[in-house]
Amino acid sequence: MRLPLFAAVCILLRTAVAVFADEAWNVDYHYALLGEPQEETTFFHQPNPTSKASLIYTLSKRGFVGAVNPRDGSVVWRQLLSPNLTSSTSQGFLRAGEGQDTIVSGYGSQVAAWSAADGRLAWTVDMHGPLKDVEILELSDGKIGSGAKDVVALSGGGSPAVQRLDGASGAVKWQHKFQEGDEVYQLSASTTEVFAILLHKTVLGYIKIRVLSLDPVNGRKTSEYTLSSENELASADTIISVGANSASPIVAWTDAAHSVLKINIIGTKTVSSYNIEKQGGQTVENIRIHAPYHTTSLSHFLVHYQTATSHWADIYHINFARSITQIAYSLPNISGKGSFSTSTSDANVYFTRITQDELITVSSASHGVLGRWTIDNLGVVSAPHEAIVPTHTVSELSVKGDSVSAIRTAVLLSTGDWVLLRDSKPVWARPEALADITSATFATPSVLEDFQHKLDVETHSNFVGAYLHRVKRHLEELKHFPSYMSSMPQRFISGFLGTTDEGAMASDSFGFHKVIVCATGNGRLVALDAGSANRILWSRTAVDLGSSETWQPGLSSRADVIVLEQGSGKSQQTFNATNGDPLPGIPDTHDLQAGPRVQYTLRDGVLEATRTDKANAGSVWHFTPMDGERILHLVPRPSNDPVASIGKVLGDRRVLYKYLDSNLALLATANDASKSAQFYVLDTITGSILHSSAHSGVDLQAPISSILSENWFAYSYTAEASDASTKGHHLVVGEMFESLVPNDRGVLDAATNFSTVQSGTEPFTLVQTYQTPEAISKMAVTQTRQGITSRQLLAVLSDVEAIVGIPYSALDPRRPVDRAPTKDEQMEGLFQYAPVIEFDPKWFLNHQREVLGIENVLTSPALIESTSIVFAYGLDIFGTRLSPSFSFDILGKDFNKFQMLATVAALAVLTFVVAPLVMRKQVNTRWQFT
Amino acid sequence: MRLFSLLCGATLTSAARLTVSIPPSPPQLPNPATLPASTHAVLHGPPGVRYDVPLRRDHSFVFPELGEASYLLTIHTRDYFFPSLRVDVAKAEGEGSQRSIAAWQTFRGNEWSNKGPQYGAGIDELRVEMRPNGHKDFYQQRGGFNLIGFLKSPMILMGLVSVVMIFGMPYMMDNMDPESKAEFEEMSKKSPITGSEGAASQIQNFDLAGWMAGKSPGATGGPSGGGNKKK
Repeated sequence: MRLPLFAAVCILLRTAVAVFADEAWNVDYHYALLGEPQEETTFFHQPNPTSKASLIYTLSKRGFVGAVNPRDGSVVWRQLLSPNLTSSTSQGFLRAGEGQDTIVSGYGSQVAAWSAADGRLAWTVDMHGPLKDVEILELSDGKIGSGAKDVVALSGGGSPAVQRLDGASGAVKWQHKFQEGDEVYQLSASTTEVFAILLHKTVLGYIKIRVLSLDPVNGRKTSEYTLSSENELASADTIISVGANSASPIVAWTDAAHSVLKINIIGTKTVSSYNIEKQGGQTVENIRIHAPYHTTSLSHFLVHYQTATSHWADIYHINFARSITQIAYSLPNISGKGSFSTSTSDANVYFTRITQDELITVSSASHGVLGRWTIDNLGVVSAPHEAIVPTHTVSELSVKGDSVSAIRTAVLLSTGDWVLLRDSKPVWARPEALADITSATFATPSVLEDFQHKLDVETHSNFVGAYLHRVKRHLEELKHFPSYMSSMPQRFISGFLGTTDEGAMASDSFGFHKVIVCATGNGRLVALDAGSANRILWSRTAVDLGSSETWQPGLSSRADVIVLEQGSGKSQQTFNATNGDPLPGIPDTHDLQAGPRVQYTLRDGVLEATRTDKANAGSVWHFTPMDGERILHLVPRPSNDPVASIGKVLGDRRVLYKYLDSNLALLATANDASKSAQFYVLDTITGSILHSSAHSGVDLQAPISSILSENWFAYSYTAEASDASTKGHHLVVGEMFESLVPNDRGVLDAATNFSTVQSGTEPFTLVQTYQTPEAISKMAVTQTRQGITSRQLLAVLSDVEAIVGIPYSALDPRRPVDRAPTKDEQMEGLFQYAPVIEFDPKWFLNHQREVLGIENVLTSPALIESTSIVFAYGLDIFGTRLSPSFSFDILGKDFNKFQMLATVAALAVLTFVVAPLVMRKQVNTRWQFT
Repeated sequence: MRLFSLLCGATLTSAARLTVSIPPSPPQLPNPATLPASTHAVLHGPPGVRYDVPLRRDHSFVFPELGEASYLLTIHTRDYFFPSLRVDVAKAEGEGSQRSIAAWQTFRGNEWSNKGPQYGAGIDELRVEMRPNGHKDFYQQRGGFNLIGFLKSPMILMGLVSVVMIFGMPYMMDNMDPESKAEFEEMSKKSPITGSEGAASQIQNFDLAGWMAGKSPGATGGPSGGGNKKK
């Protein structure tokens, strides 16, 4: 058993790093996100049929199924349906049967039922073909309330079929296979029949809708007919809706120009045709149908028309007896974009309309307004004068008499925020756009940057000028004195009681309140405050993206200026980091050093380095991987990687010199045929290989991550058992020295300057391999201002949804192997090598929070040396502050102010009490003779 | 959650089924229903083969189709450590397409052949029970102020003893009966530290001027150095 060893390691490292109980939940912040919810797959549902409390369920664009508590917006549970997050390749479905304690999801070829209350899997079935539709059967066979409702699923692909799955176990009850030829499109179920909608391509290239009616008990075909859709349907995109699970499902389509709407009640052959009038001379861009999803509801539905500038809606009733649809009434045209949602209460159907400034509820039966609220604030951060448009909504309401007594509306806004309105008041907002960050960077707020600039002026001018500048600056600061004095008692009290919320950016003397600017997938820039939890500073649109467009921006920062680069050197935009205002022009690039520079690019699987200076531009070196190998990734040394000491001081005060070169990079290549991975440390100026290693039996589907910092590198991989290694996850750490003899710089000797191009020195590399309990999907390293503080390797563990901070002392390749450390080694903090590094739970930066889908971790130094600011993004957003060598330059929460004051007070009291006693004794010793 | 990322894509005509259940195990995990929905189990097979299944409602993980290979089973959950298992699926002896499946505990940092106690073995189907072997304790408690610990420290104990001596001695002296009091005084006079010939009184009564003038201490004749007493 490895437990004693693990315990020993834990004891040794106990003092190195930990998450403190009083700092957890306060210093760190976390957005548990799902991704933008999709309109078709978002609804209110009661997880427990006996209770009225409901949760909001959604299947997001990122492929997550989740439940959100409508009270506070917290995630109750979430599950990732598919590891590859390309929602465009696969449609997702999410259905809930009325009064059921499970919800059913369909994604890819998997149908799964999840426990609605706690998100556990009930059953899962593979359909052996891409899913086209999933519906829940609400049969009126007199067995209402008898257990779980069955599920029908339609799969396409090579052998299209409909299957009925048992609601409790997922077992297949029957299967109906279709002949090949027609494309399967959708399913629809009424209380007595299951309809399969197929698309039949005619010779002319148009589409005809074929409807197959199946017996829900045995899956046999009962009837079949083709709708005469004439020549309107050129593609399946103009089929608006196939109503499912309503009392009388309909199919509706339009022509490409949106000039006519055709509706058919499934099961009948008549097609009603309605001309779409053009309101305001604008063409209709989008038509949507909103219908209730319950078989017991009235068969009413709403058709929503949207033009570029306005929207309106018609409400239709279905007349069962005559099998026709007719327009009951219309909702007036309102300028701007709007959104509709359907809610039911018993058999009644209500439609809720949300526009940019109003929320209106009407009943489906008549046009009387049941409730009207004015929205003046959506509670989200946006650019000034930006029109926030509702994209889609779901709502839940309770009706008393003729008016709506309470309504809850979850609305997705054009900013990517998901907001819940209680009546018209925002209760919570979830910034779901942040689930899709493409690039992020740290920046310094302007306040700090101005101050720094002023100080720079003083250091760089002459004595008299600097003095005058300083006096002027102090006089200017005097005008803040009254407000400072008035806030003094408050500051004192909050500082003493420890209730400070760490204030605003202006009073940030430790540099914790950095600005983190993120570019999101919907074309926006969002800025977060790194110092205070869950605070969005500003948010603005950077580019207008179409629905299917994506962008790959590059974000960088120069002090308080954000530079946004779109595509490969296309256009550059600059923004103020503090408030997001666009700035004119491109900042001067004076901070980039002049002189010869080498730029390296990956082209056709070959790494190529070119000189960029004009005098002798051209290719310097190539790195071509060996046959069958492909380059996985290249990790250079961080551009901001200060090193405090050029050597490692040993226990006996001698020094090992580090091999420090700012132009190093770690390159990983993989060979798919031989299942091996190679790692090279490259000098990016000369192209020489300083260190290389190869590992066989590597699982190339598992994450391979690497990092290079200071004079050490680390990489991880997952390997199969072999003679050389054991099965599991491995972490390799290498450290490079100029020489392995203490106090000796090897060939460099006393050279103060040397060129890697001329001297060709090579480092001596010590390497050690450890086995880790989890696969590491991404690595980062802490950064501090001067690099004096010891470093921590930050490793993202995607399997336990965590980020661990591994102290470098635990990874040191100089740990003695197979023997106890000598006294000198103990002095240095080295302990005996163990092949396994167990991740102490106290190393988990996220402690009990579960951070899902982290793709990248950024670190940035604070103003004080001890602290590094960490920001992780991917799906979730997580940020914290780290002090790898403890907070040695700041009074943290471990400093007990109360205890200090109590001690001072006790000493004062003691002095006052004891002083007369001592005085009396002194007098007595002189005068008393016994 | 990462439903069956069946990356090998092998067509498995007959395959073994593994069910891992988590029973209530009182001291550590009395109620497995408290496990969060993010709990999942991963089977690592040969390179490229990985099965990842979420926790089911009956506190179990089901791997429905396992091909012939040697797998590493890991259970990931937020609050508990679970042992890792080695699961071997191989062709069963005899005819037919049956597979034998067996599970042992395995230890990180040891050879893969180093198997621990067997959890179970079966043909085509195996159920094993797994219990957590530890609770994750994420939080480091600060060494806060502790009155008992504070009083236990030697500095404070010494201080307390001296305080007791300062305040307690006069009372003790007063309450002593005359005989023992006299005896005590006799003793303290003789004691090398506090007696009149003791080091303490000698230092206190040291006649600096006399010493500088070259007088021997005995010649002063009794206490004379009042100089340092007149403060």
